[in-house]
Formats: sequence, C-alpha cells, structure tokens
Amino acid sequence: MGKYILKRVLQFIPVFFGVTLILFALQNIVPGDPIKLIGGGGKAMTPEAELNLRIRYNLVQVDENGHAVLDENGDPMPVPLMDQYVTYITNLFQGDLGESYQRKMPVTEILANKYPYTIKLAACAIVLEAIMGIGAGIISAVKRYSFWDILVTLSTSVLVAVPAFWLGMLLQLIFGVWMKEWTGGAFSLPISGAGGAASQYQDWIHYILPSITLASVSTAYAARIMRSQLLDVMNQDYIRTAKAKGLSNRAIIWRHALKNALIPVVTYIGVDFGAMLAGAILTETVFNWPGVGYEIYRAITQRDWPIVMGGVTVVVVVVMVINLLVDISYAFLDPRIRYGAPKDKS
Amino acid sequence: MAEMKNEFHQPVVGRRAFVGGTLAASSLAFLAACGKKDAPAAGSADAAAEGVTLNFSINNPVCIDPYNVQEDQGTQVEFQLFDSLMKYDFKAEDLKPLACESFEASEDATKFTFHLIEGAKFHNGDPVTSADFKRGWTRLVSPKSAIQVDRGPSQIAYHLSQVKGYDELAAGDADDFAGLSCPDDLTFVVELSAAYADFPYVCSHPALAPVPAAADEDANAFYLAPIGNGAFMMKPGTKWEDGQYIDLVRFDDYYGDKAVVDGIHFGIQKDIETSYKEFQAGNFDVADVPTAQIDACKAEAGESKDGYTMSEGGRMLLGSEPSTYYLVCNTTVEPFNNADFRKGVSMAINREAICKSIFKGTRTPADGIVPPGMDGYREGAWEFAAYDVDKANEFLDKVAPMNGDSRGIEMVLSYNQDGGHKEIMESVIGDLARVGITVTSDTPEWSALLSKYDNMDFQIGRLGWVADYPIMDNFLYPLFHSDSLGGDNKSGYSNPEVDKLIEEARTIVDDTQRVAKMQEADAIIGADLPVIPLMFYTHTLVGSSRVKNLYIDPQKKAYLARAELTA
Repeated sequence: MGKYILKRVLQFIPVFFGVTLILFALQNIVPGDPIKLIGGGGKAMTPEAELNLRIRYNLVQVDENGHAVLDENGDPMPVPLMDQYVTYITNLFQGDLGESYQRKMPVTEILANKYPYTIKLAACAIVLEAIMGIGAGIISAVKRYSFWDILVTLSTSVLVAVPAFWLGMLLQLIFGVWMKEWTGGAFSLPISGAGGAASQYQDWIHYILPSITLASVSTAYAARIMRSQLLDVMNQDYIRTAKAKGLSNRAIIWRHALKNALIPVVTYIGVDFGAMLAGAILTETVFNWPGVGYEIYRAITQRDWPIVMGGVTVVVVVVMVINLLVDISYAFLDPRIRYGAPKDKS
Repeated sequence: MAEMKNEFHQPVVGRRAFVGGTLAASSLAFLAACGKKDAPAAGSADAAAEGVTLNFSINNPVCIDPYNVQEDQGTQVEFQLFDSLMKYDFKAEDLKPLACESFEASEDATKFTFHLIEGAKFHNGDPVTSADFKRGWTRLVSPKSAIQVDRGPSQIAYHLSQVKGYDELAAGDADDFAGLSCPDDLTFVVELSAAYADFPYVCSHPALAPVPAAADEDANAFYLAPIGNGAFMMKPGTKWEDGQYIDLVRFDDYYGDKAVVDGIHFGIQKDIETSYKEFQAGNFDVADVPTAQIDACKAEAGESKDGYTMSEGGRMLLGSEPSTYYLVCNTTVEPFNNADFRKGVSMAINREAICKSIFKGTRTPADGIVPPGMDGYREGAWEFAAYDVDKANEFLDKVAPMNGDSRGIEMVLSYNQDGGHKEIMESVIGDLARVGITVTSDTPEWSALLSKYDNMDFQIGRLGWVADYPIMDNFLYPLFHSDSLGGDNKSGYSNPEVDKLIEEARTIVDDTQRVAKMQEADAIIGADLPVIPLMFYTHTLVGSSRVKNLYIDPQKKAYLARAELTA
C-alpha cells in the first residue's frame, strides 16, 4: 500500500506541472489585456498608472531602480513568458500565489477566506448525497417495483432534470420568502449564505438549502448507481450461495452485497466531492455563498489571472488528494483489491 | 428473477420507521430554524442589537479605501465614511462646500484655495487638517505611498492629472505633490498645470478625501477598515468581510448633522435575484430590482415622485443617472467615416422600443450624450439622435441607395454579450435591417472587446459612460477631445474646433458662461455624430416599508445619514 501511495504521489508531479503550464499558456493565448480591465467601467487609465500596474505584476522588465526598461520605440519591454512562469512556480513553492489584479489582495488570502466555506458546503452536500443517495438506492433495489422504488426512480428522474440553480431559487422562495410570510416570521430558512440577514440564524442553518441544492443532482445519480449495482450484485452466485446457507436477507445485504455494490458509488461520490471542492458556481451564486467557485468564475471573466492560476492550482492538488483517498478506500471496501501487489501467477 | 424479487422484498427499513424518521428530521430542522439568534432585527447581529440599522444591499466592492474607490458599490460605502471638499447638490443643481467652508479660484482657473471647516475630526479622534487632504491625494497618485506599495497602483489617479506635479509623482520621480500646499492647518491650496474651471466639481468626487496619519502607518488595516471624516464609521472591531458584509455605525463626533440611524449593514450580494429575494423577505431595506420584477415592484412599493426620494408615497426610484449607453463609431474606417451614414444609422434605431420592451421603461431614450440632471443638459440636444426612419433613409440614400431591400452595405457590430447587451443589440440589428443594412455581430468578451477598441479594430461597437462628476466636461473631454485619443475617445474623432471650444470652456470661471461654451462644443459633436447615443440609465432601486425617507442622488450615492426608518 505504501508503495502504491508513493507511486500515486509521484504521479502528482507531472500532472501539477502540466496543469500549471497549460493554464499559463492559456492566459497568454486568450485575447484581452487584463491590465486594461482593471480600471473598472471601461475607463482608460493614465499611462503612468497602467505602466505601474504592469511593473507590479511582473509583466514588464524593470531596471535596478524599479523603472520599466524601454525598447527602441520607447515601449516597455515585456518579461519573457518562460521567466514569468519560472517566477510563478518559484513563488508558488514559497506559498506565494501572487496578487489579484482586480481585488488587490494576495491570492492566498482570498483563497484562505473562501476555501473553508467551499469545503464546509461540499462536506455537507456530500454527507447528504451519501446518506440520501445510498439509502434511496438500497431501498429502491431491495423493494424493487414497489411504491418506494417508483418513488425513488421518479424523484431521481425529476432531480436529474431540474437545474440546480432553479431548484435553489425555488427553495429560497418557499423557505426564505413564503414560509416567513405565512408564519408571520416565525419560521424561515436563510436565503443567502452570506451578506443577507446572516445574524438571524444559527450558522449551521445556512447550510441547509445550499447543501440540498448542491447535492440534488448527484444524489439522484448516486441513488440510481446504487440501485443498479445492488441489483446486479444480488444476482451473483455468491449471494445465491449465501441464501442457500440460510443467511437472513439483512445479513446478505449488509455483509455481502452492499460492500461490493458500493465501489462504483464511492467512486462516483469521491469524484463528485472533488468537483464540489472545485467550487459550485451556480449554487454559490444563487445562495450568495462566499466560496471559491464563484471567485474563480469571476476571475476568469475579468481575466484576473493570478486568482485563476492560484485557485485552479489549489483545486487540482485537492482533487488529486481526494482521488487518492478514494482509491485507497477501495481496499477497505473490497479486501481483494491489493494495490501494487504482484500479479496473481496462477 | 421473480424469485429474487420475492426473496428480497422484505423491508430493511420499515415504512413506518422511514416516515417517522423523516418527520423527526423535519421537525428537528424546523425547531432549529425557529431557534434564531437573539438579534432583534435583520442585519449584523451586534449592530442591529445596538439600535436602528439600515440594511443596504450592494455587490462586492472593488475598493472602499478612497485611494482606489471607483465603481458605485465601493463608492456607496466610502461615501458614508468620508467627506470630500465639495458636494454637488442635484436638487439645487449647485456645487456646495462639504468638508470646507468656502473656496476661491484664481482668475485663470489654475489655482484653487479651500478653507477647511474647523473642528472636524476623523473617526479615530484626529483633527482633519489640510495636510490630511494632501496625504489623501498624494497616496492616490504616488507609487511610493504605503498603500500602493502594499496594494498596488490606483486606477483612479486620473482625477488629479490636472494638478501640477502629477507626472513626476505618478512616475515615482518625486515624493512630494508639487501642486498641493498647506499654508496652515485649515487652508488647502491646489495649483493646476492648465486651466480647469470645473476643478471644484472634481473635488466633489468621494475619492478625493482626507486620510489620517494612520492610513500610512498601517495601510493594510486601513484598506479594510478605513478611518474617515464622514457621518458613519466602521463598526469598531470589524472590517470589510470580503463577499459578506460591511457594518458601519454612527460617528457621534461628526462635525455636521449627526446620522439619524444608528448603523448601516451593507449586505454584499453576488446576484441581483438573490438580493431581491432577501428584500422580499424583509431582510434588506434598500435593494436593486431585477428587470423582470419592475412592474410588480412598482405596483407594490409605488413610484417615487422625484425618482430619487423614497418616502411613504413611493419607494421605488426610477430617476435618471448621469450615464449614457451608446454606440461608438470608428470614424477612421468606412462606412463610419461618413457622417451621413452615421446619422442614417442613428435615426433608424427605435430607442423608445428598446427602453420599453427590454427595460420596461427603466431606461430613457437618449437625445444626446449628456444626460438629464447635468448642468447644461438640453432636451433634444442632438438632432440626429431621434428616431425617424424616413430621414434615416434620406441620409443612407446619399451613401448607398436602396436596391430592392438592401443597400449592399454590410457592417460589423461589436459588443459583449453579457450584461443584457445581446437583446439590445438584436433590436438595433433588426432596426437596421429594416433600412436595408446588413449587420453581422462580433461578440468578444469584454476584455477582448476593449482591446479591439484600443486598436481601432472595429466598425461600430457598444459602450457606456458613467460620469465621475456632474459636468458636461466629464463627457465631452474624455470622449471627444483629441487629447483623449488612445484613451476614452475610442471613436477616433478629432475636431480642432471642438478641442478649442472645450479648452476655452475650461478657462472660464463663471459657471453659466462655461456651460454655454460647452454646449457650443456639444452642438458641433452632435452634428458630427461620432457616437450614437441610445439610452440614459435610470435607478432601479426600491426601499422597504421601513423606509420613511431616503434620498439617493442621480450618481447613486445614498444620503444614509439623513435616512429615516420606522422603529
């Protein structure tokens, strides 16, 4: 196992450099000058202010006095792209992800402020997804063709079809606006994750509606995967053998069927958790959630490359770690899986 | 299979248990939700508990420190925290002293002397002196200032580009702002490098505020929790919580009339729809209204009589803003180098239809580049900004006569699709098709579009202009003067006569004469039509039933110190 983990960690290196290199190339290929965008409202900056910005963000070469180095036409000389990349990577390893063009804050500070919210929301959503998805899938499979099975199938079909942002808006309207009106203010759930009437509620209550929204589609998929996997496993010979040996249904499901059926579900939930940790742009926007997803989206639209680079780099590392943890978890679900072990010679 | 089904049909979780569990979980959530914190009103917990708090919805500001305050959201917060030298009273249509008692201008409009109010204090108790104004203005320009070293250059240094010594200071070649001097604590003298009689209007910009010595001592702390001289101060112990909220409380040592409300909770929202739902739920007192909700909101809250004051009679504001939405023509390329073609295009566009159908009347058709509310605005100022298809055809016939249903002219309209521009541009394209012009859309992202404009790589494109100061100069100089080519003058328009008139106007100290001169320049520009004005922006703000009185001026600055709420 240790060898396997080491091997996977070493695989991080080319992935990491590959991603940062691609991102870096992209930011130089995509049209549009980020410095021109900084002014806000499309108003032109003075040439001095523009040059000072380019100097600050290491986009033009400077002399020992900090003044821009000019070419024969009197234009500032840009820093070669490879030098910019090397500087970025060097700073990155020193924990410096640069400074946001637009926000004028260190990217590490922005991500440090935002990431805890994304992690907490993702954790709530994934717990909800795991419990509801696996639970509904089991009930649906065990009670195949029953009312509960139809209910699960129908509701998962609806959830898969409903866009998350629409569901979120609907939940806000029902629990945030209408419920408050109907109950004379006695009951309501917060509409915004932040920036609204935050103080009215206990902190954890803010997670209810965004978690449901974020988990909705994935829960439906998880339930469907769980159902089909469990049904598949139930048809296996070893289950029939277990039954022949007189084991109870409950024991068969919990001890034998579920563990095997869970592997694809765990894989799905694990990958989904990684995706959630990359931020949920729509849910974060609808619920005004101060997470990292909207921040990266905003940065992309505004060509705020330090945030895009820093944010995506962090996300890539997090997703790689999550994937590794998911892979490791297989061994606990199915002892037959032995990572890095020599092939069966028989 | 049937066998399997029967065997595994025994319940793992009983129906009763499932229903019971669900009910229990729901009840728990219900009870928990009912168990709200003890804050008696919406808003930040403690501020609300301390008295009457006004809850105001904003987007995440770019900056609330005066050194780089630029868009209306950051300005809204900063305006409550800081007082500049002057303020423009839109109701009285007059520029008035704010942090100063009076000012004098030299005859040649190059030197201005401001006499500060005695006894004014910063929120930390320091007296406000002329040196604090100099400090505030210098840190906005100097790349060596503590804030610029920490947070990067200001993008709004251009406000002070007329002040003597600006170039040296901005280039980092000087430490002192040569054009600013402080003969004594209460006298602040500004010398300009060229005549600019409108300069006192520039001094009404909230960015040109004084800052205490603390701003340099801990620039980072000041950036997030500025210490100003305004009617409100940052709530002690709090700072701008990025993407969440900013809490202010009344400054009791304010030199002017003290604020009526005890505090302001600026709730930071990403999405106008979510913000409006918070408003509907009673959690905001002031919020923007999504276009789709305009009619319902107008019916429910009532329309404000003057468009700017929320009161019991009407809480929805639809007053004009000093901002213009327009099409910029590249006057250096065909076919837009032909004034007749530009006029034909302009007169073919049904502005009224765009305002009514897309914006439900929350924007008004533009009849010039200078919007209503500005000193010097004239109704119907630009003859060719009116909708008249017959005249449009007359002008276009001069350039390319109609052949069948086409004039054989194809043009490219550049715009960014976000922000609702697509619908507007589609309406424009439809109008132009009716006069025989084929239009192709070019829809790069905003940053790429700006690059196209800068490189003059376009035929006609969309832009908007928001005035920094309520003066004609703030439209005519940046958009049409030759000095602004390569900057905000993106049409490539250059007319020596216009340049001369604007420059002459800048030297005239008398307001009436100066405005008259600007109007002369405006008339020539209107006849040349390098840009095609489409609409004037208007407020789309609404107040809750708690709001008894609140004035929000055309520049969207809310006079929250004078706001009155029901208990």
